[in-house]
Amino acid sequence: MASLVGAYAASHGPLIVREWHAVPENQKIRLKNAFLELGRRLSTARPDVLIAVSPDHWSNFFLDNIPAVCLGIGEINEGPPEPWMKDFPHKEIHGHAGFALHLAKTALQEGFEPSVSHRLKLDHGVCIPLWRMVLERLPRIVPILLNSIEPPLPSLSRCLEWGRLLKKATDSYSEPLRVAILATGGLSHSIGEPTMGAIYEDFDKETIRLFGSSEKDLVHFLEEELPSHGNGSEEVRNWLVAHGAAGSRGFELIDYLPVPKVIVGCGFAAWRL
Amino acid sequence: MTDYWLSRLFFDLQNPAAAAQYRTDREQVLSKYPLEEPVKQALLAGDVPYLAKLTNPYLLRYYFFSVGMKDDEFMRRLNGG
Repeated sequence: MASLVGAYAASHGPLIVREWHAVPENQKIRLKNAFLELGRRLSTARPDVLIAVSPDHWSNFFLDNIPAVCLGIGEINEGPPEPWMKDFPHKEIHGHAGFALHLAKTALQEGFEPSVSHRLKLDHGVCIPLWRMVLERLPRIVPILLNSIEPPLPSLSRCLEWGRLLKKATDSYSEPLRVAILATGGLSHSIGEPTMGAIYEDFDKETIRLFGSSEKDLVHFLEEELPSHGNGSEEVRNWLVAHGAAGSRGFELIDYLPVPKVIVGCGFAAWRL
Repeated sequence: MTDYWLSRLFFDLQNPAAAAQYRTDREQVLSKYPLEEPVKQALLAGDVPYLAKLTNPYLLRYYFFSVGMKDDEFMRRLNGG
C-alpha cells in the first residue's frame, strides 16, 4: 500500500526569479534557507511521488475551458513555458500515470469530478519551489492544478475535502509508493488589480495561526477575509488541500516573511502527519 | 465584464514570438482579433484602468510585462496615475 510521508507548502511568485537581485540580502538568506529546509525535509521523507498542488497561471487553460481541478495523469509533463524560467533544469518532468489514474478513479467514485490531462505545462507555480528546494533527485510529479486565478473558484471546504480524498486514494493504492504533497502559492499578494504590491501581514499571520485551530474557524476566517486581501491570496486553497490530506493537525511553520520586492507574503510550512 | 478577444490576445502574447511581432507591428497583430474600437484604442494608448475592467488581472499584468512596461509604471497607471 502507498503511504503519505510528507505534506509541505511554499510560496511562489515570478519576481522570486525575475527580481531576485533586488531582494535585500537578509530576506534573500531567509527565503533561500526556507526553500532549502523544505528540500531537506522532502529529501529525508524519500517520496517516490510528489503531488504538486498549484494554480495554472494561464499556461494550460484559457477562458474556453477552465477546470476547477485538473489532475495530470500523463507519464510526462512539460517544464515551465515562461521565458524567464528558461534556466529551470528540467524541460520534461516525469509523472506517475498509474498512481495519478488511481487518484482520478478514486475521485470519481467518491463524488468528485476532476478533469484530467495527459500532458500539462508546469509553470512557475510548481517549478519555482522545485527549483529553489535544490533537490538531488526530482521525485515523479503528479500535478493537481486547482483554479484560484479566474472566478468562480472552488469552495474552501471542497479544497479540504480534496485533501482528505488524496489521503484516502493514497492509502488505497496497491503499490508501496511513498507519496508527499507540496502546496504552492500564497500567502497574501495582489496581482494586476489596484492593490497590486500589497502584502497583508496581519492576515497572513492570522491565517497561519488558524491552521493550528479548527477547520471551521479557519474556513470561516478565510471566507470572510479573502475577498479583501488580494487575489493572489486565493492560492491558500492549495494549503487547504495539504491540510486536509495531512489530517488537519496543523503545521510547523518553517518561515514567514513579507517580501515587498517579490510582492508576496512568503510562507513555508511542513504539516504534522 | 470579460472581453473574450482582448483576453485571447493577452493569452496569445505569452508566446515570445507573438509578443515580439506585437512589439514590431501592433496594428497588424490587432487586425487578427475582432476587438471593439474603444478596446483597440485603449491598447494603443496603454490605458491600464480601462483594460483592467475587461480581463483577468493576471493576463493584464502579463500583457504589460510583455510589452516592456515595468511593474512600478504598471501599478501607477493601474491606480489612475
